[in-house]
Amino acid sequence: MTKIYKDSRVINDLSFEICKGELFVILGSSGSGKTTTLKLINRLIDPDEGAVYLNGNDTKTMDSVKLRRKIGYVIQQIGLFPHMMVKENIGLIPRLEKWNEENISNKIDELLTLVALPPQLFRTRYPNQLSGGQQQRVGLARALVMDPPLLLMDEPFGALDPLLRMQLQNEFLSIKRKLDKTIVFVTHDIEESFILADRIGVMHEGKMLQIGTPSELLFEPANEIVSKIIGTENKFKAIKFLQAKDVMISLDKGCLIESDISCKEAIDKMVTGKIDLCIIKKSNSDIAQISLIDLLNEKDKERSIMDLGNKLSVFAPNDTLSSIILLLKSSKESIAAIMDHNKVLGIVRINSVLMNLI
Amino acid sequence: MTLIDTIISVWTIHQITLRTIQHLYMFSIALIISIVIGVALAILVYSNPKLANLWFNVLNVIEMIPELALFIFLLPILGLGEKPTIAACVLYSILPIMRNSYTGLAHVSNEYIEIAKAIGLTKNEILLKIRLPMALPLISSGIRVAVVYIMGIATLGGLIAAGGLGVPLQAGIYRYDIPTIIVAALWVGTLGVFFDFIAWIIENRLARRFNPW
Repeated sequence: MTKIYKDSRVINDLSFEICKGELFVILGSSGSGKTTTLKLINRLIDPDEGAVYLNGNDTKTMDSVKLRRKIGYVIQQIGLFPHMMVKENIGLIPRLEKWNEENISNKIDELLTLVALPPQLFRTRYPNQLSGGQQQRVGLARALVMDPPLLLMDEPFGALDPLLRMQLQNEFLSIKRKLDKTIVFVTHDIEESFILADRIGVMHEGKMLQIGTPSELLFEPANEIVSKIIGTENKFKAIKFLQAKDVMISLDKGCLIESDISCKEAIDKMVTGKIDLCIIKKSNSDIAQISLIDLLNEKDKERSIMDLGNKLSVFAPNDTLSSIILLLKSSKESIAAIMDHNKVLGIVRINSVLMNLI
Repeated sequence: MTLIDTIISVWTIHQITLRTIQHLYMFSIALIISIVIGVALAILVYSNPKLANLWFNVLNVIEMIPELALFIFLLPILGLGEKPTIAACVLYSILPIMRNSYTGLAHVSNEYIEIAKAIGLTKNEILLKIRLPMALPLISSGIRVAVVYIMGIATLGGLIAAGGLGVPLQAGIYRYDIPTIIVAALWVGTLGVFFDFIAWIIENRLARRFNPW
């Protein structure tokens, strides 16, 4: 797509794809064209060149009002109509779509509950009787009322104070998990993008410089501008947002050995596989590691490895790096196992993590 | 004669209760008509901005015609009595209502319009559900100006057999009957202040409710 305003190419030959069900963050400084991109999606603006395709259909061929009613939209700060009560704000479009009153009222209560506002307290309030955070929640509820498969969010937490922002981001993540929607989220806040994103697209001067997961952008920035925007020289700051799955060393099948073999068999396996450290899964919660040297030093070579090895702490793939490091520090360990649904995915070694971050 | 006796006698001689009812009757009809026309014109002009200047100029010209001259224009068309009086009241009060309504419609903050568009309201829905209600505080302050205009202009109806509180006032002036002039004038003034006050309360309520944070 290209969008030209007064001879300047605000959006310059932009082309990217968003996958179903993902939270795609468009990250960029002001003037990078990120909000314009969002408005191109729901046709608040039409591109001068190119087109937006939704499930393979050109949005230009669709009725813009119908299209927008199927796309949720949340903006920064002012978004609620001040002359309407919370329930009228949320129920505006359903009423125009002529739903029956009972359905509307049920939907409003359901959504208010979802965004953690007790319906009986908030239904009949006016926006100026709500705090900034509450307004933002109502804004989200309104965006969800038509059950849109796609949600566009333009710096929805931008105007909130940092503490509240963090709380809402976390709440938003848990709501997002319940909803299973495709979300396009615009922000200039790198931390926010790292916390929320499945994938991040870095925009600069109307172009998409790089698209990738937070760790891809952090560890393999495509060029200097991306690296500057992401702040790759301060990677260690990302310790709060990086998750276990971003930094773990994924487990070669060879490194994981069954727990019902003897010490001798284990040594054979490790020597042929040329590995000197392996992970033993004793049960779903009991993961241990053992090194080749330990095995060789073991006198009773017929002993089952079930009895050997050092027990490892276990984390989930989306636990944050900082929580892992903190826990390992207190237990004086340097390695942890990452498991998802009883399956060992990999290990996190503090040493290698730190080498990567600095 | 005491003050109260004077008032009572002026009141009964000039049937001021009846005149008040007549007056308020003309007042309310004129007010309702001018609100309907004023707001409708504002919407019309708002949707066709090219017409805006033309309309405001026409209404400004009407506004500049002295009341008595306007009556003379209206008499051949509408005859004597209530009709030309109401027509004159309406012609004068359309301008403040329309000007305020137009300003109100046009000055709804763009952010609200953008979000309304983004969540899928059509142009007409934006006008009816967003612009018009958000313009209400300004519309109502226009109406408040009109209330005072109409209250005053309706008294001129006394000159052309329309009844109302203009009758005792004119009678007092012709006969140089000072108590009558004072009682009638004070009473019209009181009514004007009273309705202005009610309009003020309504305006205030709306402003408070619609004022965004």
